[in-house]
Amino acid sequence: MSCAPGQPCAEGMKRRRAMAVLGVMAILFVALSVASFIDSRGQVVPSDVKYANFDAVEGKRVFQSYNCMGCHTIVGNGGYFGPDLTKLYGKVGPAWLEAFLPSAGSWPTKGAVKLQLQNEAVAADAGVADIEAYLEKYPAANERIARRGGHATAMPNLPLTRSEVGRLIAFLKYTSEMNTEGWPPTPKVDGLTSPYAKPVPGAAQAAVSVTKEAVVASAKPVSAVAQGKMLAEENGCTACHATDRERLVGPGWGGIYGAEVQLADGSTVKRDDAYLTQSILDPDARVVAGFEPGVMPSFAEMLDVDQVAAIVAYIRSLEGK
Amino acid sequence: MIPIEYETQRLGLRFFLVMLVLFFFQTVFGLMLATQHVDPTLLAGILNFNVIRSQHTNLAVLWVLSGFIGTILFVGPLLSKRELAAPWLIKFLFYALIAVVIWNVITQVLAQQGIAGWWMGQPLLQEGLEYLEAGRIADVVILIGFGILCYVVLRTFPPRSQWNEIHWGLGLGVVALTAVWIFGMFFVERLDLSEYFRWYVVHYWVEGVWEVIHISLVGFLLVLMFKADVKSVGYAVFWGVSLVWLSGLLGNAHHYFWIGTPEFWQFWGALFSALEPVPLIFCFWHIYLDAHQDGKPLENTPAFSFLLGSVVLEQVGAGILGFTMTFALTNVWSHGTWVTVSHAHLALFGTFGMLGIAAAYYAIPLMRGVSNFDQRLGKLAFWLVFTGMLGLGFAFAIGGTVQVFVYRTLGLDWFGGDVAPAMHFAKVMVPVFGIVFAIGVLLLVYDLLTLGWRVPAEHDSAEIPAPSGWGRRLSSWETGLWLLAMWFFGGLITLGLLSFNLASVQQGNPTLPYVLGGIGYPGLLLTTLLFVWRFLRSLDARRYVRAEPLAAASSLAGAA
Repeated sequence: MSCAPGQPCAEGMKRRRAMAVLGVMAILFVALSVASFIDSRGQVVPSDVKYANFDAVEGKRVFQSYNCMGCHTIVGNGGYFGPDLTKLYGKVGPAWLEAFLPSAGSWPTKGAVKLQLQNEAVAADAGVADIEAYLEKYPAANERIARRGGHATAMPNLPLTRSEVGRLIAFLKYTSEMNTEGWPPTPKVDGLTSPYAKPVPGAAQAAVSVTKEAVVASAKPVSAVAQGKMLAEENGCTACHATDRERLVGPGWGGIYGAEVQLADGSTVKRDDAYLTQSILDPDARVVAGFEPGVMPSFAEMLDVDQVAAIVAYIRSLEGK
Repeated sequence: MIPIEYETQRLGLRFFLVMLVLFFFQTVFGLMLATQHVDPTLLAGILNFNVIRSQHTNLAVLWVLSGFIGTILFVGPLLSKRELAAPWLIKFLFYALIAVVIWNVITQVLAQQGIAGWWMGQPLLQEGLEYLEAGRIADVVILIGFGILCYVVLRTFPPRSQWNEIHWGLGLGVVALTAVWIFGMFFVERLDLSEYFRWYVVHYWVEGVWEVIHISLVGFLLVLMFKADVKSVGYAVFWGVSLVWLSGLLGNAHHYFWIGTPEFWQFWGALFSALEPVPLIFCFWHIYLDAHQDGKPLENTPAFSFLLGSVVLEQVGAGILGFTMTFALTNVWSHGTWVTVSHAHLALFGTFGMLGIAAAYYAIPLMRGVSNFDQRLGKLAFWLVFTGMLGLGFAFAIGGTVQVFVYRTLGLDWFGGDVAPAMHFAKVMVPVFGIVFAIGVLLLVYDLLTLGWRVPAEHDSAEIPAPSGWGRRLSSWETGLWLLAMWFFGGLITLGLLSFNLASVQQGNPTLPYVLGGIGYPGLLLTTLLFVWRFLRSLDARRYVRAEPLAAASSLAGAA
């Protein structure tokens, strides 16, 4: 009934008119939709975006497989538990993401990001090979390292494989290049100076680290174990390796020294100095059963012989709790 | 109370019971999410936030659908004046629903391992798209289920020449429900295109299909409860459905502001979705008119309370809060924050959830043959659930306003270090109101599951309010004032969101949006609470009229 009871009614005509208006709107909607996705608009498409050898379309599959949208938003849609990911790649760059994603439970340190820059494909994509230049080019990565580096995140570690990490970064590179009509709005004020910003490290901490370096430079004898502990934290080792027996991304270090362990090929090996040294310099040579090869990067370019020995000494000192 | 006329109406009962069980678990998952927001390390790595959230949203969709199916099966024979076609298909649908719920609950957990079950380019097990997290296998089963529902409804209805507007609304509703679902069944490579089609399902379900089913069912329940004239309800249904589709079709554009689609959507989206409250105001007005067309006392207060809650929260959550963030200049701030969560909870649970509960409260006593059930538990449950949900809406909105300022205006993006601590007060309020809500849910689930098994109370001992003061007759003039007050506060909220565009706010001074939001949100939600209280009290007082006609007549004369 398109009219109140008792009133003269032109039922059929009213219904036809409503359908006609609806039809016009549907045509308008379809026309606007077609205009939204034609090539000449110049919107970036994922099949055109590559990161290293990784494909952004495959990256979207990884993004959906892990239901990233359930905690984060992308183009503003999704969960509101973590930050929006749309423009993240453009802000922090590929090396920071490479350092972060495999061990998401912990914020990357400067050493961890520097390590990723050793990879030529990453450096080529970032456009800079030097860590200082990188941090200058990506101030958001610098801010993250300075304020959060080494601390725990609110995100759990995910079992991402090496290639999944690469694909995800390719997808984030694609979304970062998307034209989203000015969203999210660019802040007009430096939020870090506001009382809402957590006042961590900052200038005071920088001074401390300078003196720390000065102490090391002045060649005061520091025990190998203490030096190894410091190196392990600076280089981001402890983002993936707990100092007790807990498995984070890699095996926990607690009590592993000297123990027999089975490798992926079925043979067994004793975790002695030689094995641990090799695992730091060439991690894929002898991978323990149950762990993915290719997740841990090589530290051959980052650490010299003495530094590796110090880290091994530190691992030796750890007892499993 | 009308007796059950057709045996197959009873098939609705099992869907109502499933609805209650799923509603309970959805609430539990919601409480877990609220707790994780306060302490993100809780269960991290064991049951991650994204998995719990997908359970929470998927169960919401599934129990609302269960409620719709239950209600449609209950009213279908009454609308058709004959038994349901193919009852064996309904029984099959019931087991398919249970199977798909269990299957989906299990497969969602696989997201923690990144397993989606890719086969021929399609994710078979789960697909990590908000609201459409179910994998392709579940999608296909759900599509078959919708097909069965369409078949049964259309075969049961009389020939099309005899359809009235309620038949049209429900018939179009179930067909569109099925058709729109298909757009969510493909993997799309481009993010903009994939979001574009995702909103086909989410928006057109909610603002196209569900709304139409909602209007039709509310209309018919009013016919049943108040013996309202089918023709005048049909008139409301016709215009309601027309306005929903005329505004909602292009209104979908408000989801296309920032997903990588062109700027012109901002114009079309703002224009048409600003019109979306019109059919909701229309619906709101009609529940007032129909409830007041005769002065008879309410027979089933819980059922009507939830029906009123459904229409009022539709007005407040979908209509007003939706309106506040429908303009590009407000949406650019609210988008992707808790401000939208407030709208989503009030609109989705309010409109569709409360309708399912209302229908269950109406139908279950009839199906169990309970003519005089104790309504006190149901009334209490209504008030707990209603205030709990308003409180949740308040907490989300306040948290969202702070979030917009800290996250967008100041650009601080460390959720654990900066954003979450700033929102802490609101984050704690969520589980607090969540517990109030959950107690209400427990009560109503218990009440409805065991209704008829318990010995009914001797008499309703609640005092009957006098038809004066808050119990006096609700005039259309007064109802209009209440509605105006709600929109006034809605206007403040809109201005608050707009004020984020001011240079002073962008320079780091949040006073204006905080003050406007701080008055607007509590103002709106308290007005809503008081209005529903006033409405129900005036209906309660009708029994006083019957009990003491002389006294009532004199007080009515006094009021006039």
